[in-house]
Amino acid sequence: MKKHPYIHIIPIILLVLFSFAENCWALQSHGAPEGIYVHQMAHLLFSGALGYLYWHTRTSPVIKSKGWKFLQIFCFFLIAWNLIAFTGHEAFSHLTPTDFIDKNTWKEQLAPPITGMKILYYLTKMDHFLNVPGLFALVISLRTFYREALLEAKK
Amino acid sequence: MNGIPLLPAVTVEFFGSALAILFSFIALRYAWFLVRLQPSNFIWGFLFYFCIAMAAFSLSRGVGHMVRIILVYTDQNTLWKQLSPLSGGFNTMLMISVAAVIIYYHKGLAAYKLLRQEAVKLFDANTQLASSAKQLQELNTHLEEMVEVRTHNLSESEKKFRNFFENSKDIIFFCDKNGYFTNINSSGIKLLGLTQPPESVNFHDLFAHKNDLETYLNGLHTDGFISDLEIECRGNNEGPKFILLTANAIYDLDGQFVAYEGIGKDMTRLRTMTEQLINQEKMASVGQMAAGVAHEINTPLGIILGYTQLMMDDFEPDSETHNSLLVMERQTKACRRIVADLLKFSRQAHSAKTVIDLNTIIGEVLAVTEHTLNINRIDIIRHFGAGLPQIVGDAEKLHQVFINLFNNAQFAMENGGKIIVTTGKINNELHIIVQDTGTGIPDEIKNKIFDPFFTTKDVGKGTGLGLSVTYGIIKNHGGRISVESPVTDPLSNETVQGTAFHIWLPVNSTPNDENREQH
Ligand SMILES: Nc1ncnc2c1ncn2[C@@H]1O[C@H](COP(=O)(O)OP(=O)(O)OP(=O)(O)O)[C@@H](O)[C@H]1O
Ligand SMILES: [Mg+2]
Repeated sequence: MKKHPYIHIIPIILLVLFSFAENCWALQSHGAPEGIYVHQMAHLLFSGALGYLYWHTRTSPVIKSKGWKFLQIFCFFLIAWNLIAFTGHEAFSHLTPTDFIDKNTWKEQLAPPITGMKILYYLTKMDHFLNVPGLFALVISLRTFYREALLEAKK
Repeated sequence: MNGIPLLPAVTVEFFGSALAILFSFIALRYAWFLVRLQPSNFIWGFLFYFCIAMAAFSLSRGVGHMVRIILVYTDQNTLWKQLSPLSGGFNTMLMISVAAVIIYYHKGLAAYKLLRQEAVKLFDANTQLASSAKQLQELNTHLEEMVEVRTHNLSESEKKFRNFFENSKDIIFFCDKNGYFTNINSSGIKLLGLTQPPESVNFHDLFAHKNDLETYLNGLHTDGFISDLEIECRGNNEGPKFILLTANAIYDLDGQFVAYEGIGKDMTRLRTMTEQLINQEKMASVGQMAAGVAHEINTPLGIILGYTQLMMDDFEPDSETHNSLLVMERQTKACRRIVADLLKFSRQAHSAKTVIDLNTIIGEVLAVTEHTLNINRIDIIRHFGAGLPQIVGDAEKLHQVFINLFNNAQFAMENGGKIIVTTGKINNELHIIVQDTGTGIPDEIKNKIFDPFFTTKDVGKGTGLGLSVTYGIIKNHGGRISVESPVTDPLSNETVQGTAFHIWLPVNSTPNDENREQH
């Protein structure tokens, strides 16, 4: 029997909890800190679950289909996206309102000097470059499944 | 120093969110199609729930992002401040839901796999069952064919044996243990003269002799078979049948004697033939002996007669000595007659054959003997067939035949009676019957009367040569003679007391030289 997928996620969650808790208390950007904690944990849980799905569909596919390939691509993108999102939230929590110029306008900018954290934040803001292709792969995957199932049903 | 404008990132965020919503719903749509196509497939079910969660998450997140961008850039920051935790909470919850669906997938899949395995097993079992059923059916059809072939063979064999059974000239029969026929072939029915249905006839009742039956039953019960047992059966109206019987006992599974089967060969003809052959052989040997003796005696008898006649000349007639010599002469002549008869019997005597008419021959004999017969109150009844063909024969000897027969008849009718003489032609033979109404001949001596020296008469009254001489003469003419007593009237089928001698003579036979030479 396979190990429970979230068994290896638990230590990660705990690690996250304890390593970031302090920082988060120190650098409050959201109103309630536990909200962002839960959110981050959810990101990790999500990527862990996706990792399991990726691993499982790779090692023991129940049905032979090209659809799994796309589902795996989806998993890959979404895991990456989760990590990016996680990083993004993390990076954001390190920034203060003074790091932004013209906040909440069309001309909003990241204020100089440009630090690594700011660049990281900027990059993670582009997380849709991972999210959208991932979902596209999911569409292709399901479409493949459907077409194959349709073909089989017609036989 | 300028900052980094966030506008590109926000633009990407805005459209990316919209696209994410769009794609996740397209994916959901396909998942829905899949579920509808195969509702029982667990994978589709999982993917469907997964896509629902994914779509809900994308929707929540995308809308959240877009609303934020719109609100923030339209200076409604405070409103967004209020909505922000709600949107974040939704997003978190939905992410966990997606993860939960995936985790659920693990357990569900295991159950589904188990179910599928069972289904596969069931399917395998079903296919196996179907193939077995097919095999069985094939076997069945094959079996039918086989049965057909076997039945055909069986019926062929049955036909063969039935033919053998029915066409056999021997008696083939099956009896139950009490002797009642259970099956008998047509030859058997004919030979045994069965008139009732065979099932009601008991084979044991057909045995003419009790001891035959005993030997037969003993053999069957002790050895289980009997082979080549000669028995006499009460046959059909042609008289008793001599049968060479071979039979086997039939036992049931417990070894109990239940029935028997047998084959009987009709030996009647063979037996009569053998008897006749033995008779002929006997006659021939006796004839040879008699001829030898007669020849030896003939010479001294001639001398005795010669001297007796010479001496008679030396004495006065009427003198005592002369009378004694006369007696001697007469007795010597009687002796010579006996010797002559013996020689005649053995066919050593001279024979002169001419063309003769049988009715005439009998007429000549009757002309001499009728007077004497009439004195003894015997009537002669003539049934002479008209226009009988002439035959080649020795008139003298044939005279002798009829004299003998009339003498015997007369002797059998001391108180008078009738002699019926019938002549006629049957096929290529002349048939002569000399019938009397006398004492008849008992069965025990019937086959001895043709033997030389067989007689029932007192000593001195008969020599027993009459019929044997007759037999010899008829044989010499290529004919046959037989005796019938008591006589069955061919017309009325009644039995009459008396004796009838039947003689058959061939019509166009040349003198039978071969026969003469042989003896
Ligand atoms: N017509 C007949 N009726 C009854 N018995 C007969 C008749 N013919 C022959 N037999 C029997 O057959 C026996 C043999 O006959 P066969 O003529 O050979 O001898 P036989 O008459 O006794 O003597 P033989 O003829 O030599 O004087 C007779 O003794 C007699 O018993
Ligand atoms: Mg006689």
